[in-house]
Amino acid sequence: MTSSTITLHAPAKTKSQGRLDVLQMLSGVLLILFLWAHMLLVSSVLISPSLMNAIAWFFEATYMAQVGGPLIGLLIFTHFLLAARKMPWKASESEAFFKHSVMMKHRDTWMWLVQVGTALLILVMAGIHMWVVLTDLPISAVKSAARIQHGGWLPFYLILLPIAEVHVGIGFYRIGVKYGVITADNRAWYKRRENALMGGFIFIGLITLIRFMYLPLHSGM
Amino acid sequence: MSRRLHIEVFRYNPLDPNSEPHMESFHIDEYDSMTLFIALNIIRDQHDATLQFDFCCRAGICGSCGMVINGRPGLACHTQTKDLPDHIVLHPLPVFKLIGDLSVDTGVWFRDAGKRIEAWVHNDHDEFDPMQEEARMENSLANEIFELDRCVECGCCISACGTARMRPDFLGAAAIARVARFYLDPRDERNEENYYEVIGNDQGVFGCMGLLGCEDVCPKHIPLQDQLGIMRRMLALHSVKGILPKALINKLSHKGCCHENHKG
Repeated sequence: MTSSTITLHAPAKTKSQGRLDVLQMLSGVLLILFLWAHMLLVSSVLISPSLMNAIAWFFEATYMAQVGGPLIGLLIFTHFLLAARKMPWKASESEAFFKHSVMMKHRDTWMWLVQVGTALLILVMAGIHMWVVLTDLPISAVKSAARIQHGGWLPFYLILLPIAEVHVGIGFYRIGVKYGVITADNRAWYKRRENALMGGFIFIGLITLIRFMYLPLHSGM
Repeated sequence: MSRRLHIEVFRYNPLDPNSEPHMESFHIDEYDSMTLFIALNIIRDQHDATLQFDFCCRAGICGSCGMVINGRPGLACHTQTKDLPDHIVLHPLPVFKLIGDLSVDTGVWFRDAGKRIEAWVHNDHDEFDPMQEEARMENSLANEIFELDRCVECGCCISACGTARMRPDFLGAAAIARVARFYLDPRDERNEENYYEVIGNDQGVFGCMGLLGCEDVCPKHIPLQDQLGIMRRMLALHSVKGILPKALINKLSHKGCCHENHKG
């Protein structure tokens, strides 16, 4: 509604925009929790490959991988659709935002462009990752290691890991800001915590990848 | 302190068909406690009398001298040159209509925003009795309202907002904080539904992407981030009333940053 249309009609009352905002936030929170849990579960290979196998067996025996996997895919796509309402699809918008970021030299502003860029990459790469893993069940440490050691999947995961963690980390901070949990008083504290958390998960992910690189594929295990 | 300042100013007169937007450099001597407002006046007095920029109170009260100072929106009168490097680049505030050089029209924008958020006290009293004693309120509440009333509508938060820059219909921090001011005020008898009608959309609170440009540039240090959070949570929870259990909504609306435990 602008000043030119203000007298033309009485717009219908609708709660939809608030609900969409809540859904965007909720889907984001769920995905954040999922990704962190996912990272911790996969990193169980650091303790022992058989622990990872046991966890994978549990998720398949309970059908959480077969059913939950595609549901997570759907959740990612839903979250994308909801968040894409704010993306700068028009050339004029992306141009204005980029110019603005360059002008402001303001980290929180730049971080949003990072969110948009990583979102698009994750949408494609998480889809590929899920397809590859879920069409080749059961998950096992040796199969994951084989993917890292052959077939060019190492560079794929070296990209997907940090962008997913960064997207999730920034998203977590941003939800806190938008909903008044992170306030002017505690913003610096949260930012430090968030950076540590993000760095921590990327670190765990990297050493997990290194473990997969050197996991023997043919030992009896 | 005797730096020679290199001040680069955006020049363009939209009313002159021969005028091309360009940057023009001026060199002046800095002196003690010089503000950007003083520097610009020196340029206008001694170098170029046609330089257009706005000022009025030179004390951060009128909000006219907002401009982009080395990339960040701020008030010229509030900015001391000693806090800036030798090379200072000045642009007019984006988003607003350019009058010429550094001068922009914030008035039309704020008038439109004020109308859209209905920035006046709403009640259904039949008549106004000028002889009646004013209703009293707690001093602490009056202070909280005043904290938000300090906004001088300089437009810095709007110019610092990536969303406002992309989307001309976005209301921005000044307008949303203005609604928060009425939300606090017991004389404004609007309920949550009424506030939802004016800012419960993607042009209002739900359009905010939490970029915090507003918070970081506000020359008056108005708690914009906190107010945006308070309003967004209140209206988001309002939109899911009847979907989420009442007890949960109640609990969530008193968590984190909210008016009753916000120390301005």
